[in-house]
Parts: sequence; structure tokens; C-alpha cells
Amino acid sequence: MDDETDFDVIIIGAGFAGAATAFQLLKEGIEGDRILIVDRGEPIGSKNLTGGILWGRELDDFEEYLGNWEMDCPGIERCINHKKVGFLNNEDALFVEGRFASWDGTGGTEEPSQRSSWSVLRAKADAWMAEKMEEAGIFVMGGMKIDQLHIDGLDHDSYDARDLTDPAEDSGKGTAQKWKVDNLPKELVEKIRNGTISGIVQDGEVMTSKVVVIAEGSNSVLTRGYHFDSMLHAQSKDDMLLGVKEVIHLGKEKIDERFNCFAGDDERPPSGMAMELALSLYRDMSHEAWEKYPNTKGLYPRCGGFFYTNRDTVSCGIIVQLKSLPEGLHTYDLYQAFKAQPAIAALIEGGEAIEYGGHLCPEYGLHRMPHRFTRDGAVVVGDAAGLVFANGMQIQGMNNALHSGKLAGKAIAKCIADGDVSAKALDATYTKSLKASYIFRDLKRFEPATKFLNNPANFTWVPELVGKTANRVFREIGEEKVPAEKVLLKVRKEMRAKNKANKKGMGLFSMLKLALTGRKL
Amino acid sequence: MSESIKLGLFTYDVKNGLGLIGYNVDEHEHAHIIVETSKCNDCSHMMCVWGCPAQCYNFRDQGLEEMKFQYEDCVECGTCYIMCDQGAVSWNHPRGGFGITYSQG
Repeated sequence: MDDETDFDVIIIGAGFAGAATAFQLLKEGIEGDRILIVDRGEPIGSKNLTGGILWGRELDDFEEYLGNWEMDCPGIERCINHKKVGFLNNEDALFVEGRFASWDGTGGTEEPSQRSSWSVLRAKADAWMAEKMEEAGIFVMGGMKIDQLHIDGLDHDSYDARDLTDPAEDSGKGTAQKWKVDNLPKELVEKIRNGTISGIVQDGEVMTSKVVVIAEGSNSVLTRGYHFDSMLHAQSKDDMLLGVKEVIHLGKEKIDERFNCFAGDDERPPSGMAMELALSLYRDMSHEAWEKYPNTKGLYPRCGGFFYTNRDTVSCGIIVQLKSLPEGLHTYDLYQAFKAQPAIAALIEGGEAIEYGGHLCPEYGLHRMPHRFTRDGAVVVGDAAGLVFANGMQIQGMNNALHSGKLAGKAIAKCIADGDVSAKALDATYTKSLKASYIFRDLKRFEPATKFLNNPANFTWVPELVGKTANRVFREIGEEKVPAEKVLLKVRKEMRAKNKANKKGMGLFSMLKLALTGRKL
Repeated sequence: MSESIKLGLFTYDVKNGLGLIGYNVDEHEHAHIIVETSKCNDCSHMMCVWGCPAQCYNFRDQGLEEMKFQYEDCVECGTCYIMCDQGAVSWNHPRGGFGITYSQG
């Protein structure tokens, strides 16, 4: 049977999801030379960007291939033992800070297994993982973009790769948008969307496999084109976040000093700080934008900030919900306002930006998952499947990517052994285990949180109220002390008097409603 | 930087930021994004302009009468494809080995 196809499995995308699938397949006994993993980046990793933290120790399962990954992998930067949540307005910043000696294995317990949270730089990490895959005997090919999937009984010349993603010439607007593929003959479309996938097409050449794994990441053209998710085919701005970040070089010593990090030694990696921030920085900018572009009047960008320490650099960026972006505000200016906030500016002072970038992040939640994770002969894993969890305090995608890759690897090996790689068989293994995994349990449990987190209050007056109240509670100016709750009420009164939007938003009833939805976090 | 980009309190020198990234720019005939700019004239929102983190789309925000798009600085995020509902943006990844090259990520 091995001779029938070029490979047993072809994986598209050598990120964490793709790599985990490949390593798991090896563990399940599939030979390395029967696995091909391709990536459009040259070198591998050069297309990837993260604004995240790698949670958990999923990589431990691949110790036989990765060795001591936490010490050896260049992109695994610092072990986070110091976590901050902050509320920022244009002037004030209030941080809630946790420092956990056990998290980096330096205090409490010396167990390395306590180390479970990492700042990551993906271009470096992915390149290293690709090396490890090669060492393990897997076929790894960088600089290879896959245009089409090979479908049984379908000549790939009968349609063009761009037909799947390009707007039709007679495309309407808004929800009436049409794509070139909508104008192709019905039988052809049916084959593209539901035929058996049995390989990939690159530059007109076909490579066949029993199973194709789509691990393209958050902006997956193939997932859209081959209809794993009909919603993705059209517009998905409702559930997409854009991350904009800079990597800023400060030098290792300065970071150790400025953020009080453990420098690391021969056995233990350096420790680091991770911070997530609620922002109300964009009120004045928004009001100015509305004046010029009244179409989106009333819309404030829902935007959060993040800040992580790497070995010699820091990752500093924002993540904005695309549907909340008002006209008149450039996303890069939103980033600049964050960077210029005094508390953030102080942290990056003396640093030199060495890289700037942007990347999408799906925030589908359960209500917008792809309608299928498998097709006959194919599965989709990681960000491409929208397996990202967001509850406001954390955005987790990388551990989910690794975990879904493992589940896919196990399932695919079993299906190949059973000689049945139909969607039904893959669903009964992969999709079933995915839905029973912590990925789905987390998504389900925190579904109500989305409602709370999407409340505009959290991006406008809440961080402002918190910051201003803290400002006055902590300040000593030789006057009689006022209890914190009274300060809070006074600040609220002032904010309401000053701003029309606040008057409505900060009414007692609105605040109570917000508190009630927040309870479910 | 033009006057209109100073809208708001802060401006980011995005082109300077992009100067930090490595690119291997493909030839024009292989541009990975093609924008039918004539469709942009009727667009009421220019959300591609506001969304793009790399300022590849320049239009009325820069005082221009016509949409000017350039793919060379693209960071391949896909925001414009999501934002455009005018049927003007044809989006795909660049050919293998071309486009942006992050060294940090």
C-alpha cells in the first residue's frame, strides 16, 4: 500500500500545530520518510509572528526528538514567573502583579515541571523545530507555498488556485459579495468542496498522500478555499483580532535588572515577566476620528495591550478586534498610543526596535468554529481551525495548536492503520478527541465571558475609572483621607459630568449589568 | 508624514518600522495581492486603509483622490482581505520564499 502514494501524510505549515502532528505521527510508528511537512517560509519560521505566551508543557511529550527544549530552543525565551494585569488610561496605570517563585522552579519546589509558561519568538522557535524534525528523519521543505489540494478524479488545471479566493468580476458588495469559485460549474465546485483530498499541488506538480493536514495558521487560504468553514470563505471580521507588535532590544542585563528577572544558569532558563493590559487610551483619538468620519460614530476600538520579556528583547504590542475599528484610526497609530503611554514608555526606555509586524488571531469561540474539522483525506489543526481560546486575561493558541496536532497525529495513524481515512473515520477519532479535550472544555466554559469582555465599557471607562481612582487613593497631599469607595464614586461622578458617553455608560444600571456578566468569568 | 496621518494624538512612523523587517520582494507580475482600485472610488469606509498595519493602502486619508496600493511592504496578515467588502481585494500568500522574512517573530 505504501507505494500507492508519495507519502502517508503531507502537512502544510511547519508551525507548532504542524510540527506536533509530525512528531506524534513518528511516535505512532509512521516512518519519517513517509511524512512530508512543507512551509511557505524560507527559512522556516520566517512567516510566523506571535503576540502570545506558550502555556503548559505540551512539548515534553516530544522529548525524544526535542531533548531539553526549554534550555536549547532559541525561540523559547524566558520562563514566566511574574505576571501582571494592568489598567491603563492616557495618564494613569494600575497594575495587579503576581510573582510566583514556584513558576520558574527557583523557589518553592525545584520541580522543572512547575515551569509552564514561556515567552516565545516564533521565527527562531519554528526554525529550530524544523531542524529537529529533519534530524528525526521527517521530510521538511521550506519556501514552498501550496496553491491547491489534489482531489481524486479532479484535474487541478480545471480551475485556478486564485479562483478560490478572488472576488468574482460580477461581485456584489457587502454580504452580496461573490467569489470566482461561485461562477464555476456546479459539479466542479462540488468536487472542490467535497471530493476526496489525496495530496497537494505546487507549481503544477502533484504530490500524493493518504492524509493531508492543513496547519496553515490563522490566515488559512486553504481552509477557506476548500470549505472547511463556509464562514471563512466570505468575511470574518466579526471574530478576528489583529495583533501589531514590535520586538524591542534592551539587552539581557538590562532586562534582568529592569524586570527583576532571574538570569538563568546552566540548568535553569532565565525567568521573565508577562503582562496583559486593559486599555482606555483611545477615547480622544476616536472622538477626533468620528468628527471626520461620522459613519462609525460611537465605535471605540476594542483593544488590549501585551508586553512580554524575551531573553534580550521585549515584545510590545496591541491586539484589536477588527469589527470594532472605527474609520479614521490606523491600527499602527493605536499601537503608537500604547507605546507612548508613560508606564509602557518607561519600560522600553533606551530600547531599540528591531522588528515590527502584524498577524491575525482568530477569536471564534464555540459559536464560530469551522463547521468541519475533517474532509475525506484531510484534517485541519491549530489556528487554521480557529482553536484559540480568549478570556481576556489570556489568549491561548500555541498550546492548543500543539495539543490539536497531537490528537490529529494519533487519529491519522490509527485511520491509516485501519485503512480508512474518510471524513467519517477521521471525525470518529480526531474530531471526537478534540471535542473531548481541554481545548473545547475551556472554550465552552468561558463562552459567557465573551459577552462580558466585548462590552465597550471594558475598553472605555472601566480602565479609566480604575486608574483615576487609584491615582487619588494612593496620593497623599496633606488633606483628610477619603475612603476608597468614596473616591471611586467621586471619580465616577466627575467622569459622568465631563463626558456624555460616560453619563449613559456609567449609569448604575449599566454598571450593575456589567458586574453581573463579569461574575461568569 | 502627511498632515492627515497625524489624525489623533499619536502617529507611528510605520515605514520606519517596516524598514526593520527583511523582505524578498517578488516581481510585479507575481504580486500576491491585487487590488482593483477602481472599485475603491465608491467605497464609503476605506476599512483596508485603517486596518492595514503596514500602510500598504493609501487613499483619502493621505489626501489622495485615488486608491494607491503597493504590495511590497505587506506583512501578509490578511487584514485587508477581511476588511474589504467591495470585492476589490484579491488575496493570496506570496510565492514560496518571497515576501516578508521575520527574524524574531
